[in-house]
Amino acid sequence: MSSPVTVWRHHKNIKNYLGKTGKIVVWTKIFIAPAGFEHEAPYPVAIVEFSPSAGSGLVTDRMPLQLVEYEEKHLKPGQKIVTVVRKLGKVGLDKVIEYGIKGKPV
Amino acid sequence: MKIKVAGVGLTKFGEIWDKSLLDLALEASKEAISDSRLALSQIDAVFVGNMLIGKIAGQDHLGPVIASSLGLSCASFRIEGACASGGLAVHLAIQGILAGTYKNILVVGAEKMSDAPITQITWALMGAGSSKERKAGLTFPALYALMAEAHMQKYGTTRKQLANIAVKNHYHASLNKMAQYPFEITVEQVLESSLISSPITLLDCSPITDGAAAVVLSADDSKKGVYITGSAVASDTIDLAERESLTELKATQIASKTALKQAGVEIKDIKIAEVHDCFTIAEILAMEDLGFCSPGAGGKFIASNATRLGGKCPVNTSGGLKACGHPVGATGVKQIIEITQQLRETAGQRQVKNANIGLTQNVGGTGATVVVHVLQN
Repeated sequence: MSSPVTVWRHHKNIKNYLGKTGKIVVWTKIFIAPAGFEHEAPYPVAIVEFSPSAGSGLVTDRMPLQLVEYEEKHLKPGQKIVTVVRKLGKVGLDKVIEYGIKGKPV
Repeated sequence: MKIKVAGVGLTKFGEIWDKSLLDLALEASKEAISDSRLALSQIDAVFVGNMLIGKIAGQDHLGPVIASSLGLSCASFRIEGACASGGLAVHLAIQGILAGTYKNILVVGAEKMSDAPITQITWALMGAGSSKERKAGLTFPALYALMAEAHMQKYGTTRKQLANIAVKNHYHASLNKMAQYPFEITVEQVLESSLISSPITLLDCSPITDGAAAVVLSADDSKKGVYITGSAVASDTIDLAERESLTELKATQIASKTALKQAGVEIKDIKIAEVHDCFTIAEILAMEDLGFCSPGAGGKFIASNATRLGGKCPVNTSGGLKACGHPVGATGVKQIIEITQQLRETAGQRQVKNANIGLTQNVGGTGATVVVHVLQN
């Protein structure tokens, strides 16, 4: 799990990814999870494609996102997604809770 | 380029409970040095390929750990490039010989994975991925599952075609006493095994493995033997989502083109190959990116038995990562050993007739690092 200063630095960048809409390119449902995510399995993760930001120089802008508040019918290429803030993984009671970007079907 | 594979040494792959990483590395190293017929004092450098031991056992600084345990005081290095650590160690040792700095180098790849719980190994392996991938809860089976989905969408590749690869490589492993899983399986068993990350099932995945592989590389080209004639490395983005294409590994295309050119051969000249089948989809991508078949045709190509023992170009005669096992730091070195044994005609039941040119492809991460070697006798 991340140290408090790493979490603090990461949190400062969240706003740059919030409220963006994109669409699912491919998705998978994970049944065997890494440490910190075991309690959420099975959970879907998708590569989501966004329109590139002006001046970014990118042809496409894609990122991997864990999907939340989904129904099975949303798990398909082309599904519209909006980025939201959610808690990342699970930490011990004495650790800093980390938040990050996830994708919610719309 | 003409670097002699002077000696090879390999441990049994599997869950080796009674041996430590050092035990395994020393066993393979001593066998390779003995096979080379060189005196220990003639080894002038040790290159170690390893990815995980620092994370799961706290032991970094592995070069001198192994060199000093062998009784050597020469230069020693640990090379890390995720699952391509072994191939990278071979590549860098070759550069050390070509530069004239060293004459005889021991390259040993070793990994001890079964000591750690599965969630810790899964987390540790994700060190080969990106920060975004880790925060999304991705795993390596999941990343390759995304590539499999993309390949299925674009080319219509089927689950059965993926399962065929596991069946073929288990057949090859059934002929290899050093393999972790020396037994055959069926397509039905692959399709019905538990889901790890859809559409990838347990039997699409390479296992968690303990093992070590070692080679002695030498500048001596005065005698008959097996030589590495091409060695190249290429890189790509660490984050899969940032790639232009999810259905090809650009680094494989670049590295293979360079290595084949160095060797002065073409892909059609390759008689045998060991490729990085960490998941079944990876062998399809390797066939296409190396040029054995056209993009999208990998599933059908492998199903035609062209890459099965007895076919036109047998692939992964060791059993591959899938069935021989995948001790990640050792894999790239083991691939060199399998091709060397084939070119020496010492591969026993899995011997490929008239094999004279072979190729290895070792992948780190989802293709951020790819190492390709060409070997000839």
